[in-house]
Amino acid sequence: MLAYSVKRLLLAALVAVTVSFMSFMLLKLTGDPAAALAGESATEAQIAFVREQYGLDKPLLVQYVNWIARALQGDFGESPYFKQPVSAIITGRLGVTLTLGGCALVFAILLAIPMGVLAAVRPNSWIDRLALTISVLGQAMPSFFFGLALIIVFGVMLRVLPISGSDTWRHFILPSIALGYYATPAFMRLTRSGMIEVLASDYIRTARAKGLRTGSVLFKHALRNAIIPVVSLAAVQFGFMLGGSLIIETVFAINGVGFLGYQSIARSDLPMVQAIVLMVSMFYVVLTFCADLLNAFLDPRIRVH
Amino acid sequence: MPQPIPEIAYPSPRLILMRRTQAHTGFLIGAAVLLVISATALLAPVLAPFDPYHQDLSRRMLGPVWHESGSWKHPLGTDNLGRDYLSRLIYGARISLLIGSAAMLISGLIGTTIGVAAGYFGGRVDMVVGFLITARLSMPVVLVALAVVALIGGSLNVIIWVLGLLIWDRFAVVMRASTQQLREIDYVNAAKAIGCSTLRILGSEILPNVLNNLIVVATLEIAHAILLEAALSFLGMGVQPPLPSWGLMVAEGKEFMLFSPWVIVIPGTALSLMVLAINLIGDGIRDITAPEGRA
Amino acid sequence: MAPWIQRSLSAVLVVLVVAAIVATPAMAGKKNDTLTFTWSKELETLDRYYNTAREGMIVSRHICDDLLYRDPVAMAYKPLLAKSYQWIDPKTLEFELRQGITFHNGEPFDADDVVFTINYVTNPDNKVLVQQNVDWMERAEKKGPFTVRIHLKKEFPAALEYLSGNVPIYPNEYYAKEGPKGFGLKPVGTGPYKVVEVEQSKRIVFKKNETYFKESPKGQPSIGTIVQRTIPEMTSQIAELMTGGVDWIYMVPPDQFENLAKVPGITAVSGEDMRIAFLQMDAAKRCGETPFAKLEVRRAVNHAIDRAAIAKNLVGGASRVIDTACFPTQFGCDQNVMKYDYNPAKARELLAKAGYPEGFETDIYGYRDRTYLEAIVGYLREVGIKANLKFMQYSALRDKTYADQTPFFKMTWGSYGMNDMSAITGHYFKFEKVDFVRDAQVRDWLIEGDTSVDPAVRKAAYAKALKRIAEQAYWTPLFSYVANYAFTQDLDFTPHVDAVPRFFLAKWK
Repeated sequence: MLAYSVKRLLLAALVAVTVSFMSFMLLKLTGDPAAALAGESATEAQIAFVREQYGLDKPLLVQYVNWIARALQGDFGESPYFKQPVSAIITGRLGVTLTLGGCALVFAILLAIPMGVLAAVRPNSWIDRLALTISVLGQAMPSFFFGLALIIVFGVMLRVLPISGSDTWRHFILPSIALGYYATPAFMRLTRSGMIEVLASDYIRTARAKGLRTGSVLFKHALRNAIIPVVSLAAVQFGFMLGGSLIIETVFAINGVGFLGYQSIARSDLPMVQAIVLMVSMFYVVLTFCADLLNAFLDPRIRVH
Repeated sequence: MPQPIPEIAYPSPRLILMRRTQAHTGFLIGAAVLLVISATALLAPVLAPFDPYHQDLSRRMLGPVWHESGSWKHPLGTDNLGRDYLSRLIYGARISLLIGSAAMLISGLIGTTIGVAAGYFGGRVDMVVGFLITARLSMPVVLVALAVVALIGGSLNVIIWVLGLLIWDRFAVVMRASTQQLREIDYVNAAKAIGCSTLRILGSEILPNVLNNLIVVATLEIAHAILLEAALSFLGMGVQPPLPSWGLMVAEGKEFMLFSPWVIVIPGTALSLMVLAINLIGDGIRDITAPEGRA
Repeated sequence: MAPWIQRSLSAVLVVLVVAAIVATPAMAGKKNDTLTFTWSKELETLDRYYNTAREGMIVSRHICDDLLYRDPVAMAYKPLLAKSYQWIDPKTLEFELRQGITFHNGEPFDADDVVFTINYVTNPDNKVLVQQNVDWMERAEKKGPFTVRIHLKKEFPAALEYLSGNVPIYPNEYYAKEGPKGFGLKPVGTGPYKVVEVEQSKRIVFKKNETYFKESPKGQPSIGTIVQRTIPEMTSQIAELMTGGVDWIYMVPPDQFENLAKVPGITAVSGEDMRIAFLQMDAAKRCGETPFAKLEVRRAVNHAIDRAAIAKNLVGGASRVIDTACFPTQFGCDQNVMKYDYNPAKARELLAKAGYPEGFETDIYGYRDRTYLEAIVGYLREVGIKANLKFMQYSALRDKTYADQTPFFKMTWGSYGMNDMSAITGHYFKFEKVDFVRDAQVRDWLIEGDTSVDPAVRKAAYAKALKRIAEQAYWTPLFSYVANYAFTQDLDFTPHVDAVPRFFLAKWK
């Protein structure tokens, strides 16, 4: 287990370095970053000063190391738009995005696991077909369109839910559904196939033969085993959701990190974009690392490889 | 699965495929829908009643034919610049299909190459490719695509390349796994034993046998690219106006959706329908070629 | 179906439905004396001197006071923080200040605050963004504890206009301590409302200043709490208004405005706006050699666009076609200039004459009203100019403009609501960073008009400048904006021609 963990950790670290290098290069794409940092009316001397101050006259690799060293201390520089530290603004908005991601995940699991179990217990029944329809539609409908449709139906026609902002928990209902819906097919398929496999296994048949009630068999024995891979999928999906929440946050006017990223791109606030790309990627790296470890912990067969 | 007909004792593989195809409702529906959309896209200049770019500000925001403000002159109404909505929808199909297929070709080339290499050579190559896939997956696609497009400016070519360079991961994962399975199979070993070159083995032994999987992934990735293009266009950083992209049409119609919901429902439904059809075809091909593989 | 699954499924459903229906939204409005209004901009700072947005001006006029106040109806200048003022000579203004006024943080107001503010913002090292509002002042001088003189760089007839709404006075001790950064997050003024809470670029909460000085020509604030919410999408804003989430919205597009007017419980009011839209073309070759350096091309662009159709169908309401580089009611804005009719054939002819018989390809930049831009792109396409739309946020476009990267772009300018032509031409034709014309002749006429105190001389000089601008087709002036407001019928709100909402004048019905 230890050797496996170390190997995974190394891979995660390597990925982190690569991805951080790529987000570092993002600022380089635009030309002279010193001129960008110094502001539009800076003189040549001021630009030269900034270049020296930020070490932008040094080789690329040195610059990268300096940047990442500062980033590790939470210093991503100052946003040219807000004239404030990037990290302060991002931390101010992280909570909303994490809440949205969490709610979406809960929604997806609450919808997918019962459906997946039912679909497995009664293959080719109406519930199996419904599950299939949900997952097929989920893959086909663009998330922004689904979000707008939810706004029209629940916000404007029925007037039961708020449609923009993040002031109360009610504001999170529609965006969580819109974001979480796209994770349901994966959960549903995994639960369904896991359940089919487990139900066909010897010990379940034994349990049934011993006369245990169906509900108890399903819940206590089968689901518990089928759910192992679902847990690690949840970690990975959460990582995807943080990246994908950009569209949903935009549609529902939620002032989270995704929307901040989108706005920052539109106003060329590059230090901000850089920091957000890095942060979302790092979340994913950490989450997948945890998922891998969890998988290995729960399923000893994996560790051998 | 249809029961084999007793008269024919040994149906040919082709016949089996045909039968499975005919019995697969999802595939048939998907193929029919996609056929209609593709034909419309190809015949756009013939089918479209108006020039999709021609604006007439005095005839703007007319409703579709079923709405009180609509008429048969503009069956789907007009948009906020008075352009014929049906014509823009028809031309929009071209853009979506073009971007989807072109981006798929680029990502397919990248993903298949490194996936097959990883699966066939294993060892170090496999480790490097595994690392590349993980690194790629950890980057948020929409955010990175938006940033790159914003920095170098959006156009049809840029969108195709950005998407192509970003979404090769599924190709790589699937091709790696399929090639790994084949590597140890007898006929590949036999080919190795008689001294066939690596390139030859890859080309004549491996590729034809992973082709089914490749086609399945390719269809799914077309759908994926179309959805991403729509999202980018919706956010204003995809295809630039006045090109008619379905995502852009939803974005432009968003302003009017409270009082004239059809302006987003029409392109949104078209988009969903096309992606649905492509996905059904992909799933169908998988079921037909490898029925035991359905999870 | 297994019973436990049935139970949990129905439980989930019940929770969702109950959540959706039972809980009632936190209503804004008359009942709890809270006016919630919204705009789409993420305001980067609440320091008026460091943003160029109209929203910044709205905030500033609620929390700060200027030396003077222009009555929005009678248009007369009234002393605000000043008790009285007089011209010592054409380049010196003296102010007698009111006594006994305090800032929201308790700091007393006196001559030091005025001197500090003016000397701070006129110091070029402090890089104030709204240069044109302050760069006509040389410095301020303290003449007594409540007496101040402002020295002008040169004669400047529009001085009173600028001092009544665009030069808010800051508390010297607080500002010296906090600087633009701290002040931008937690501004302090003497105005009718004070800021009690700021969630940056998301929400600002204003509370009535209970001790606002009684003599103020702004009157006494009536509504207890005012909340500003940033909602980026107009669609969401409208939906929020319809569902009671907000009480007041503005800049409603004409189509939705017409529909909103029919919704019960909502008052929809349309007013004229001084803001005009125009296309700027790189006549000065700042971006190198582009087709726009040629007069025929600029004239072709002027002929290519059906401005009347845009004004009538897209902007709607009181919008009108603009032919000059200023808004018609502004002082000096002489309408007797060369006019370009909508004539695509003539446009193509002019393009051919300029050496582009097949047209050409260019980028067109813009920052708001995508629809209008798309219509413009559509018209240009019909005469052979293939314009690729580069749509971005204002700050990004501003940076690109300053960096000489925008040969062709659509701008809008609201003149900060000032009814004097210098508020727009002074910004765009006097060799500043946004000047893509750089015509010394035009500049000199404008300077003559800006610095003379004789109205007749000013008018004559401005007329010459406007004539040349039109004749050279330096711009394509497009149309004027309209200010469409929609708000709850409980609110008594009057719009004004400068399209700056004054909530300190609003009350509940």
